[in-house]
Amino acid sequence: MRLRLTALAWLAILVPTLALGQGASQADEALALQQRAEEETVLTEGEGRSEVFGYCTACHNTALIRRSRFTRPQWDGLMDWMTERHGMNPLEGEFRDTIVDYLARHYGPAQAPARGRNPFLN
Amino acid sequence: MTRKIERSVQELYRDDPERADALAFGRRGALKGAALAAMGGAVGAAIPFAGTMPGGTLPALFSRPAAAQGTGPEILRMEGKGPLILQGERPLNAETPETLLDEPVTSARNMFIRNNGGLPDVPADPRGWKLTVDGEVNTKLELTVAELESRFPVITRQLQLECGGNGRSFYAPQTRGNQWGNGAISNGEWTGVRLRDVLQAAGLKPSAVATGHYGADPHLSGEPGRPAIARGMRIAKAMEEDTLLAFRLNGEAIPHLHGAPLRLVTPGWPGSLSQKWLNRIWVRDKPHDGPGMGGTSYRVPVRPIVPGSSNNGADFADLESMPVRSILSSHAHGSRLAAGTRALDLRGAAWAGDLTVQAVHASVDFGATWTEMQVAAPANAHAWQRWTGRVSLPADGYYEVWYRATDSQGRMQPHLPANWNPQGYGGNAISRAAILVG
Ligand code: HEC
Repeated sequence: MRLRLTALAWLAILVPTLALGQGASQADEALALQQRAEEETVLTEGEGRSEVFGYCTACHNTALIRRSRFTRPQWDGLMDWMTERHGMNPLEGEFRDTIVDYLARHYGPAQAPARGRNPFLN
Repeated sequence: MTRKIERSVQELYRDDPERADALAFGRRGALKGAALAAMGGAVGAAIPFAGTMPGGTLPALFSRPAAAQGTGPEILRMEGKGPLILQGERPLNAETPETLLDEPVTSARNMFIRNNGGLPDVPADPRGWKLTVDGEVNTKLELTVAELESRFPVITRQLQLECGGNGRSFYAPQTRGNQWGNGAISNGEWTGVRLRDVLQAAGLKPSAVATGHYGADPHLSGEPGRPAIARGMRIAKAMEEDTLLAFRLNGEAIPHLHGAPLRLVTPGWPGSLSQKWLNRIWVRDKPHDGPGMGGTSYRVPVRPIVPGSSNNGADFADLESMPVRSILSSHAHGSRLAAGTRALDLRGAAWAGDLTVQAVHASVDFGATWTEMQVAAPANAHAWQRWTGRVSLPADGYYEVWYRATDSQGRMQPHLPANWNPQGYGGNAISRAAILVG
């Protein structure tokens, strides 16, 4: 269970280091910024939001999600990438659908392509 | 032509009024209702060069990437750092606005921040920080920063350090990763020793073909022993004279955030090869395969792929020398100038990875005519080049300054980011800054 690490591990990583020289206060501020708490409500309201917030903020915050505008297949692929490359516990079955559906619905491509559908895709 | 522009603007407001407002000269929220409806007409009518605006082009005013964040950019406020654009807190990433890159040598204050993992602890004894060099070498070395400095020639160079994903936000459809504009670039003055001297001291075996780099920053998951990132390069780049093991920036200790007490500086290649908090160089007998290598990471298609399609990157090639790019540091996107202004004195920087820049041109008429700027020689190889020049404006109104660099092999920045790839590397399209006179 790789995820078990996360909460504790972050505490360990984020425990402020001793103030050493000039750079230390900047480093402390950077650590505090990394640690900045987020509320679930930073994500768009919708079915699956709590699951996403709970599962997806173990390693990074929601800024990575909020900046993204991906199609469902892209979100789905990203789940595997995070598992293969970054040790996220594999997401499967209904739980995976809940998460990917939420992401695709609320963080999908911002606008339809300007000139209709892409003839090379689908 | 004007009608086309009006329609685009109205569509934009209809689709995403908050984004459109946020970009309208900082007057957020002011343009609503009737004023909003009038905006299309107002902008269209006030574009002196509307006639040369390419059909379907959205005014830069409305199409800049800060909007990718939805609610407008958040600004970093941190001791010793300038007002950078915060890309994310965990991992901590921040981009430098082009106007803060007006310094010929980038201050630590204005250096963009890219982290793949968390920050490591500040070491109690930076001079005693150890670097291990092992793998395909005759003698494994373990050297402290103090030993590096005393055993090898110490040199100081101005070096470009640019994120491999700089310019990513201009790709459409959106690609994965930090949505950088053009501000993931710096040109600091780094002091250190040549990686090549250290590799020669270790003695490269004939089997040595690549390096692999490791740093002390923890993986985001906190999993012990899992590197946040560990990339590597061909041995030829490692042996280049500007590839440094750096311990000072602009004559002072490197700030912790930027990789103190020891980091690689691999100028002109993706910044991920400039490993921060460096503690190991593993010399390999094959291309390195650590996290951040292979697949679509820092790799670009050899044969162009359909934008938006999925691809595992197996046929892609590693992004090595970064493509030519320019920034405008004298005028912020969205600047409003006094009525009657008839000329702009422009200033900026341009660079081209391992190459140099042979020309920079600017246009205020949507690319119909271009004015050549004066480009200074680089302070040394792999430093950026500063440019200056004047453009004239025939009347009050809405303009876009388009700026475009050409590298020493004659390649220009293209009109649109080319060679779309899932993680958005290598996009170096011409940039556009919106200016309103009057
Ligand atoms: C085990 C740790 C972990 C978990 C859990 C995790 N991620 Fe990630 N994710 C990462 C890492 C590491 C990155 C790369 C960050 C970087 O390089 O800036 C990343 C990157 C991303 C990105 C940016 C993609 C890119 O290519 O830059 C998005 C979007 C994302 N994650 C969404 C999610 C979502 C949604 C979830 C929940 C299903 C999730 N993450 C859970 C580790 C994790």
